[in-house]
Amino acid sequence: MTNLQADLRVIWACVRHDIKIALTDRIFTIVGVFVPLNFLILLSLFVLAGSKAPTAVVMADKGPLAQDLYTAMSHAHSFSLRHATASQATDLLNSGAIVAIVTIPADFDQRVAAQQPVQIEVRINNLNQDFTNDIRRAVPLSITLFYAQAYPDVVTIVPSEHDLYRFDTDYIPYLAVSILVVGVLIGGLLQSGTGMAREWERETVKELLLAPASRWAILVGKMLAAASVSLAGVVLVLAVLIGIIGVHPVYWGEVVGFTLLFLIISVASGTLLGALIKQRMAVVALSMGIAIPLFFLSGPFGPISFQTPAIQLLAQVFPVYYAIVLQQHAFHGFTLNTLGLGGNVLVLVIYAIGLLTLATFVLRRTTAAH
Amino acid sequence: MSQPTVRAGIPAGSPAADAAQPAIAIQHLTKQFGAYRAVDDLTLEIAAGEIFGLLGPNGSGKTTTINMISGLSSPTSGTVTILGLDVRHQSRQVRAILGAVAQETALYEELSAWDNLDFHADLYGIPPREKRARIARTLDLVQLTDRKDSRVSAFSGGMKRRLALGRALLHEPQVIYLDEPTLGVDVQSRRAIWDYILTLKAQGRTVLLTTNYLEEAQELCDRLAIIDHGKLIAIDTPAHLKSTYGGNVVEIETTVPTQALAELRALPGVRTVALDGTRLHIVTDGCGNAVPAIVNVLSREGDLTQILIREPNLDDVFLLLTGKDLRD
Repeated sequence: MTNLQADLRVIWACVRHDIKIALTDRIFTIVGVFVPLNFLILLSLFVLAGSKAPTAVVMADKGPLAQDLYTAMSHAHSFSLRHATASQATDLLNSGAIVAIVTIPADFDQRVAAQQPVQIEVRINNLNQDFTNDIRRAVPLSITLFYAQAYPDVVTIVPSEHDLYRFDTDYIPYLAVSILVVGVLIGGLLQSGTGMAREWERETVKELLLAPASRWAILVGKMLAAASVSLAGVVLVLAVLIGIIGVHPVYWGEVVGFTLLFLIISVASGTLLGALIKQRMAVVALSMGIAIPLFFLSGPFGPISFQTPAIQLLAQVFPVYYAIVLQQHAFHGFTLNTLGLGGNVLVLVIYAIGLLTLATFVLRRTTAAH
Repeated sequence: MSQPTVRAGIPAGSPAADAAQPAIAIQHLTKQFGAYRAVDDLTLEIAAGEIFGLLGPNGSGKTTTINMISGLSSPTSGTVTILGLDVRHQSRQVRAILGAVAQETALYEELSAWDNLDFHADLYGIPPREKRARIARTLDLVQLTDRKDSRVSAFSGGMKRRLALGRALLHEPQVIYLDEPTLGVDVQSRRAIWDYILTLKAQGRTVLLTTNYLEEAQELCDRLAIIDHGKLIAIDTPAHLKSTYGGNVVEIETTVPTQALAELRALPGVRTVALDGTRLHIVTDGCGNAVPAIVNVLSREGDLTQILIREPNLDDVFLLLTGKDLRD
């Protein structure tokens, strides 16, 4: 048997062995598979909850101009509007169900037609400054929109919009792609990290370290097993993205390729973490502690180029940023930096090789000591 | 020139393993952890086909020595060769001819006995066509055939030890090290494990074992090395160690704790005197002439309720050499 054949056999043995253990060690496997999905649900809820301020409109005047103002408000992208009577609206505000009450006065149409000043009463539950400021910005914006539509010959300053892309990308589809990236990161870190740390925790590492197999073959086998289990979590996240959230990739091949490339980085990082820390619970805590800040740092909600230079510089140190750039291209067709697809892929390949080398080095240097 | 490749399952007497060499040769082995020297200039040789015992109190450097022999830890200085192969520079070849039974067994408890052996066979490159037969034979040897599909987590301590021993033998190693092979197992399993170890010697294999049971060392080992503070204190056959260091042991029970320790130590032929309550443990030169004088001194203080004169055992030798009980 040649050395290569022997190494391939060891790799295959480690893959089968680790998958078998993952299937018996259900708690950590479930954590690894479902945490990325959990993350997707959590952030989607966060976005949904924070997107539009629930607002009641009391229409004391039901004339056409009052209706136009209501329409302008509904186009302001800030309100989740509902009609209510004055008493219903007060109850809703007092119970905390809405952020604001906008009252269109009974003489609205008449006063506007007569070009007399009109006062729109706005009552705000200013418990949350974010929502309060949304209301403060959106009410004047709605009035401006109303004027532009009601008196186009009076309001002469109008925006002439030219879009860089053929279509808008909504907040959730944009964010969902970033969540897929962090899902791959968390899944890979958890599976490979706990799989590696388990060897020390259960004191089975001696069986591996004393074997006449090459350390890199053992490492590759363990990483392939971790990647296989992690893929289950990634497929789950992808299924929710496509089937439930309705985000459809533009380039399927890129989705698969970039996911696998970033999975290698995640799994290599986890393996390194597991070999260094040697305790599964610590690996779980640290994986989350690493993945979440990196996710927020790397432009999940919008292009990192919109951030300060310091944040941009910091984000470019970590591979998550490049993975998000690539996946945004795969899903939405746009490139968020000037490196081009090849440049971003090259950075990730360098990361993958570096981490694999480092993980092999650590395993070669490691001892059985816990 | 490239080194010859020795893959797993190497048969005894292969060109890579020189039978004329000592099975294990340790030369000036030292391991330093910062300012602490765990193993201090250790030199010893273990002959092929020998059962060799490494004894020492906890923290004496036994495990560090074992780890350096198996290649799990690198020495600060010195060399270890196994059948002529340098552990540091020919580590893969060494691992192929070495079988290890770690103290903690290192079994995958979530898996079955068969799966544990199957994984080991793959790691050690046992050819697929031989694998099933060898695993079956090994399970038969350690009497676990009827439990081959049971999870190891359901096994008793003795069964786990037997499985670990079987696994270490699966790739037919020429040198086997056993770290506390009977720790925590019942008397019946201990006897069975001793029998396996003696069978290995009969097959011409070299066995290195560490143990805290001196009875076990006496029963199994051809030679013993006692190490303390990382240094070699003594190395010899159990019988010769006893005759060299043992003398005679006099154990006396008195009604009141004696105040005459200094006087007893000054008696001709008395080597050591240890007092534990009303019980005295005295080692003499072995001629027996010191006993009447000892009795005479103690009788002045009160009655003697028990006098026992016996041959020394390894516990006495160990105590004499290290000043500690082995299980301290």
